[in-house]
Amino acid sequence: MQTKTKQDGQLEQNKREKPMPVLAKVALIGFIGGVFWSFLAYCAYFFHFTEVAPNFILQPWAIGDWKDGALGQTIAILFIGLASVIASFLYYAFLKNRQGIWPGVAFGIGLWVLVFYVLNPIFPQLKAVPQLERNTVVTMVCFYILYGMFIGYSISFEVAEMRRQKQVDVVK
Amino acid sequence: MKTKSYTPISPKLNENEQFFKDAIGVGTSFDLGVRKLHILKTDVHLYYCNGLCDTQYIIELLEMLVQVNDRERQPAKLLEIIENRLVHQQVNPVKSLDEAVDFLLTGLILLFIDGETKAFAVDVRSYPGRSPEEPDTEKVVRGARDGYVENIVVNTALTRRRIRDERLRFEMMQVGERSKTDICIAYIQDVADPGLVELIKKELNEIKIDGLTMADKTIEEFLVKQGYNPYPLVRYTERPDVAATHLLEGHVIIMVDTSPSVIITPTTYFHHVQHAEEYRQSPAVGTFVRWVRFLGIFASLFLLPLWFVFVLDPSLLPEKLSYIGPNEKTNIPIFVQLLIADIGIEFLRMAAIHTPTPLSTAMGLIAAALIGQIAIDVGLFVPEVILYVSVAAIGSFATPSYELSIANKIFRLLFLVVIALFGVPGFMIGVTVFLLFLANIRSLNTPYLWPFIPFDPGAFMQIIVRRSVAGSSIRPSIVHPQNKQKQPT
Repeated sequence: MQTKTKQDGQLEQNKREKPMPVLAKVALIGFIGGVFWSFLAYCAYFFHFTEVAPNFILQPWAIGDWKDGALGQTIAILFIGLASVIASFLYYAFLKNRQGIWPGVAFGIGLWVLVFYVLNPIFPQLKAVPQLERNTVVTMVCFYILYGMFIGYSISFEVAEMRRQKQVDVVK
Repeated sequence: MKTKSYTPISPKLNENEQFFKDAIGVGTSFDLGVRKLHILKTDVHLYYCNGLCDTQYIIELLEMLVQVNDRERQPAKLLEIIENRLVHQQVNPVKSLDEAVDFLLTGLILLFIDGETKAFAVDVRSYPGRSPEEPDTEKVVRGARDGYVENIVVNTALTRRRIRDERLRFEMMQVGERSKTDICIAYIQDVADPGLVELIKKELNEIKIDGLTMADKTIEEFLVKQGYNPYPLVRYTERPDVAATHLLEGHVIIMVDTSPSVIITPTTYFHHVQHAEEYRQSPAVGTFVRWVRFLGIFASLFLLPLWFVFVLDPSLLPEKLSYIGPNEKTNIPIFVQLLIADIGIEFLRMAAIHTPTPLSTAMGLIAAALIGQIAIDVGLFVPEVILYVSVAAIGSFATPSYELSIANKIFRLLFLVVIALFGVPGFMIGVTVFLLFLANIRSLNTPYLWPFIPFDPGAFMQIIVRRSVAGSSIRPSIVHPQNKQKQPT
């Protein structure tokens, strides 16, 4: 080593990456899942696969016209990311022990029903499901399925891995 | 495994000779032979298998044996004298004829001495084979140019050259009732997941087959049981540096004799989209190369289906992009054009594999100049079809894993079919089912789309950004390493 002053801890290779606490990981999974899939949904909106843009989530608030522009979409995507953190905590609370992709798929469909039927009155611009185009319904259901699978599978896998790790540590 | 029959070595050389004649056809098969010597008035038989052993060594051994006649005077101690005079580091005593047959057929020579129930096997093997060359499918601009060859001993040596760790293990086993192919499981003992090593050993032991002529591919089919799933569930590499990197990360490597590629397990989708070249360049360049490659892979899967969706329903396009789509009217439906063009490229690719190089240049000319241009001129194809099919094809070629590129191609064609049938809903449902299908695959208990689904933030960053080697001190959690830190504390 050429410099004694450079402590071991300062070397990039000697930094120890601490494992994230599980709740932080769940929150991160939720946020990134929400942002990623709603961004893809925005792309789908851009190409008219669906009439519902991410900014539908901003409609209940009487804020400026900017909510219909690019800025509105961006903020809406981040906002969905935050809402998605709540969804992922819900999944963690109730479904974390179910393995595989199918509970997540079911969770996604459940969320779709919640948003498009139950919460529909909150969003004034969101038409009732029978009035939506066929393309829109199919596209939105697909995105909710993929989103639910992403959140659900990630969380349950994380939980299973932690349990496995604990067992290994106990054996050691 | 069936229990082996056991025939002890007879003290009478004639009986042993008869056994070799009956059992493996010495005298019938031209490549098996016996050389009879007299040493101190005793008969000594030397069995060999032509072509698998090095004649030069055998001559040296014979010289030493013949000299026994001039220098030694104690016929009673012949066995010890001969063992001593076999000037080679690998001399093994053999007790049974069955064992002797196995040795003989792998290329060892056998020495039988009259009146003894013990024979000697000397390892003078020298298999026909090439020397290490750069693998055609995994070239790099900088970096090691050696590649695995068809000889498993050379392959383990190439790996050992890179990892001199005393904890590196090469466990050898034989599979195949008739072929008795050598298979080597390589792993680092205090890193690799012992459960995975056990699982692989168990699966390999359960293989019942007469021969493994297609070597590692056959093993793969027994190991991961993929059925008709086109996606590659293990990664192959012909580069010793790539294999060594994966060993250090905690992967288990399976090497099969007679194949220049080794199997890396466990594997996810994202192992197939990386290339050694990224790690021979600086992290920024490596990341750039990787992103361009991702773009290529994405194009090979989705570009053609997306364009086709817009052709079927131009109203989907935003105003600024409305120029996309064929302007002229065509005689043939776009779907048929796409199919013909895509399968045409597949013709070319296949033809190029088994056409000799001088002819393939001519073939390329015919393909590019004649077929493409004239198909447009006679009105068979819209120019855009050629453009998008070509970009998708180049995207396939940019995929580092040959297996992955073909699997992607199959799914691209399936997307085209569902779009032709159902339009936008077909595309959306197709892609959703595709992703669910991939996410649901588990190869050796490993989720196939990890670290994307299930999402692992740290590992996903490693995929998106080619991190500097010094900065990535943690082994990927998916291999369940016993030892998570790469560097010692």
